[in-house]
Amino acid sequence: MATKTNYKLTKKDFRQMNRRNLFMNQLGWNYEKMQGSGYLFIMLPQLRKLYGDHTPELKQAMRVQDQFFNTNPYLNTMIQGVDLALEEKEGVNSLATVAGLKNGLMGPTAAIGDTIFASLIPAIIGAIAANMAVQGNASGLFIWLAVNLAIMYFRWRQLAFAYKGGITLVTKLQGQMNALTNAATLLGVYVVGALVASLINVNIPFVAHIGKMTINLQDHLDMIMPKLIPGLAVWLIYWMLGRKRMTSTRAIFIVIIVAVVCSALGLLGKAA
Amino acid sequence: MSGQILLWQVILLTIYSMYQIIDDLTFISSLAQPVWAGLITGAIMGNMTQGLIIGGSLQLTVLGVGTFGGASKIDANSGTILATAFSISSGMNAQTAVAAIGVPVASLMIETDVLGRFTNTFFQHRVDKMIEEENYRGFERNYLYGTIPWALSRGIPVFIALQFGGGLVAQIVKVLNTQMVWLSNGLATAGALLPAVGFAILLRYLPVKKHFAYLILGFTLTALLSTVFTNIQSLGTGLASVAKGFTNSFSAMPMVAISLIGFALALNAYKQEVGKLPASHSTAAAPKNDDGDGEINGDED
Repeated sequence: MATKTNYKLTKKDFRQMNRRNLFMNQLGWNYEKMQGSGYLFIMLPQLRKLYGDHTPELKQAMRVQDQFFNTNPYLNTMIQGVDLALEEKEGVNSLATVAGLKNGLMGPTAAIGDTIFASLIPAIIGAIAANMAVQGNASGLFIWLAVNLAIMYFRWRQLAFAYKGGITLVTKLQGQMNALTNAATLLGVYVVGALVASLINVNIPFVAHIGKMTINLQDHLDMIMPKLIPGLAVWLIYWMLGRKRMTSTRAIFIVIIVAVVCSALGLLGKAA
Repeated sequence: MSGQILLWQVILLTIYSMYQIIDDLTFISSLAQPVWAGLITGAIMGNMTQGLIIGGSLQLTVLGVGTFGGASKIDANSGTILATAFSISSGMNAQTAVAAIGVPVASLMIETDVLGRFTNTFFQHRVDKMIEEENYRGFERNYLYGTIPWALSRGIPVFIALQFGGGLVAQIVKVLNTQMVWLSNGLATAGALLPAVGFAILLRYLPVKKHFAYLILGFTLTALLSTVFTNIQSLGTGLASVAKGFTNSFSAMPMVAISLIGFALALNAYKQEVGKLPASHSTAAAPKNDDGDGEINGDED
């Protein structure tokens, strides 16, 4: 009733998504939306089955799923599994919830995934492999490969698992969808606020010398509000995007030019 | 003949350098790690042991260096390829090659990584356009084109360096660090600032006005805590260098903790709204009774 086709996802769909995730995830990674288009790419065939080709619903879903997204590549399909369970049940009505959940979950998922899979495991196995390697022994490398194959198997399995969890969530919470949507979008907005403060690392390196006195502008700004510059930047771009005839392409070129010019003038720099 | 790398070796190494970054983005098999780069380059150059030693050394250098939040890390893998190839072809000592070629190349390749990610934005915009045109095949094709900037970001510098020698690599590093330092800094700054565009677009899709308080909360909390944690960390590092007995180390700001606070707020909002629902949960569209009188009368029932 909610989706036009009433399509139910099958094992074949999960296989297709997992294939796309394992072999083609992150290929579209870019500074503007990071894994945004990759998220859509992984589940586009399933979205087409759910909403039907050339429907306004599919277009709306595609637009939502193409937005900024970035999380740990080992755990991303968990979010996609829950997402598809919601969309399968509620169709476009779930898209607000989905947008909130995506943004609310990507931060914690990234934090956990990056710590375990991108930092801890490579550090431990890397130390073992490297120590053997400097003595001319290559067997540590094959241990590493084996561990990563095991992790790949885990990545393959987690999608169906998350989807089932999502189904339980949806059936349990029917009638409370409005409340869930509100909570999810609230979390999404909150996390975006947090990400602005943690992911955009620019500051003002300008230091004024007046006689013997040196004034470090950034230090003074930090006393007012740390991360003021990233916050202002997002606000400015948000405002800019609301102007007529402003496209994201133009916005991105403006940002690049402004950044290079301001950096050359010493007004803006990359924070350590 | 020393110093000479044959064309077929250059081509094979260039192909591997392009393959490894794609591997690291998609199925992450560990073949994109410096130890593997050492072994594979060593095999191509005809001295696997030398490759293992260089790869192992560079692996130890970047131990635990992960990519967080899409930031560029030093490309120890490309560093290993060049260090191994040059050291074997010229008979250079392994340790010297690590320091003289491996590390500088690895840090220089941050720039080409940034450039590759920049270029991908072009395909993002084509992909955005395809969505509006409902061109599904076009979307998928243009998404996959992202492979090209990624592969070339490693392939071009590795090819040029191997073909034209270590002198040129050193030259480029020097130019970017001296005459062109403004450009290298500017691009790094732009790279740091560009996620702001993604966030701004995202905020246009989320009910920002409704939840504006939470946007402020998430931002301020993270801004304050990240400053505190960073300062404590640098304080600890400074203290450790002065006081011998001081061995404590302080962790970075935990993003999970920040998210948990947001989760608690969301849970609270959810419970409050569910509490307002009529007893039968089955009705999906419950009438909203938003008689927002600010009275606290919870202790009456």
